[in-house]
Amino acid sequence: MSFSEADVQGALKNLTDPNTGKDFVSGKSVKNIKINGNDLSLDIMLGYPARSVWDEIRAMIEAHLKAALPDSGSIGVNVTSKVVPHAVQRGVKLVDGVKNIIAVASGKGGVGKSTTAVNIALALAAEGARVGMLDADIYGPSQPAMLGITGQPEMLDGNFMAPLTNHGLQAMSIGFLIASDDTPMIWRGPMVTQALDQLLRQTRWDNLDYLIVDLPPGTGDIQLSLAQQVPVTGAVIVTTPQDIALMDARKGLKMFEKVGVKIVGIVENMSTHICSKCGHEEHIFGAGGGEKMCAEYHAEFLGSLPLDIRIREQTDSGKPTVVADPDGNIAKNYRQIARRIAVKVAEMAQNHSTVFPKVVVQNT
Amino acid sequence: MSGYPTEIKLHQQSRLLEIAFDDGICYKMPYEYLRVHSPSAEVRGHGTGQEKLQTGKKNVGIVEILPVGNYAMKIVFDDGHDSGLYTWEYLHELGEHQAELWQDYLELLTAAGQSREPSH
Ligand SMILES: Nc1ncnc2c1ncn2[C@@H]1O[C@H](COP(=O)(O)OP(=O)(O)OP(=O)(O)O)[C@@H](O)[C@H]1O
Ligand SMILES: [Mg+2]
Repeated sequence: MSFSEADVQGALKNLTDPNTGKDFVSGKSVKNIKINGNDLSLDIMLGYPARSVWDEIRAMIEAHLKAALPDSGSIGVNVTSKVVPHAVQRGVKLVDGVKNIIAVASGKGGVGKSTTAVNIALALAAEGARVGMLDADIYGPSQPAMLGITGQPEMLDGNFMAPLTNHGLQAMSIGFLIASDDTPMIWRGPMVTQALDQLLRQTRWDNLDYLIVDLPPGTGDIQLSLAQQVPVTGAVIVTTPQDIALMDARKGLKMFEKVGVKIVGIVENMSTHICSKCGHEEHIFGAGGGEKMCAEYHAEFLGSLPLDIRIREQTDSGKPTVVADPDGNIAKNYRQIARRIAVKVAEMAQNHSTVFPKVVVQNT
Repeated sequence: MSGYPTEIKLHQQSRLLEIAFDDGICYKMPYEYLRVHSPSAEVRGHGTGQEKLQTGKKNVGIVEILPVGNYAMKIVFDDGHDSGLYTWEYLHELGEHQAELWQDYLELLTAAGQSREPSH
């Protein structure tokens, strides 16, 4: 007795991808099923980068198929990832070389947006994605220091700049373009809009799956011009568990909803404190605030990070935790959050419902 | 968030804009009504009592409609006015309260001794 392609599909329909919560068939991941006598081979193409779990997924699928198809001979499963581009609203110009744009925002300042943004970017890159970092904080850019990049971008033909690179990321920041004396920059409304647009569109991004945008805090001009001019897939909101930060995070979330930017989810930073002496973990700012806010706004709780001196030391010295200590718990934590974001973004990319309709002109 | 538009029709003869949203609601609104209620600073002024009454727009036309981000559209009128951002929320509001808002407008016109007819 042998088996058919339909049997294989049927078997995979009963197996859930732990990352998406969907079975592999309805997730449209199963490709290229080949049956040769009793031997079976197939490809699994995940919509999110997941190099660190390819082996795990392969083993899981092979074991499942062996059990479901007792007559099978050899089973070969090849797992890869392919990130799909997001469908954007009409009227907003696409950015060349970029498939998905993810903004990292907060209401309150200093909650760890830049730290979270850079570690998420590095985690996505570690999973095999091509990732860029756009530092949209034109008032106080942090990414040059966090990525350990100094120097100026090379000018290319046609008024383009080459992004600077380190740790496998392509990066652009106002910090690369102006002298870093300590004077704060003063920008007026239209200049802000232009600066963001130029950093975004005059950088020659090279075939990015994700461009992470590190925003300044609050709900000002940058956030508004992002919503109006940038084909952004969605925003990740970073907050700390204190009431006051959560209050501002709510404001930020509402502002994005109002201007039609989708919320990917919420990351709670500095959730607990881990004592550097004894390792004891404590909810010094209160527990469960981020989760409560998510429940209130039907947003997804993407995960949380402890207040840990290593995060600060590593990130502020130009080698963020995900690359400084890739096997540690914190890096694993960032990778999990990044994977959740990637899965969400893949789902958003398949949702074409918010494309601006064609305007029909009638002689009636 | 208000529903997202699924269909927009410009009836150029009758000067009516027809807009349907994914929450199932559909409105038909005269171009003139949309023009005189433009949310732009030019029309609204800066705060209540600052509004500038729009007159003589009976025959105004629409040249084009442009999406703005994910939350609004810009209507370009043939009298050159193009600075109003009509958010989905505002369009819902205009559609829902069309009768009252139009009546209010007509009363304001009369009170100001002005007319819907274009001058000359
Ligand atoms: N989980 C953490 N544990 C320890 N230190 C952290 C953590 N997250 C961020 N920090 C530190 O807190 C400081 C502020 O973080 P960061 O610059 O990322 O905040 P931000 O929200 O981007 O600030 P701004 O609003 O000014 O842009 C940095 O020194 C950073 O290293
Ligand atoms: Mg920052």
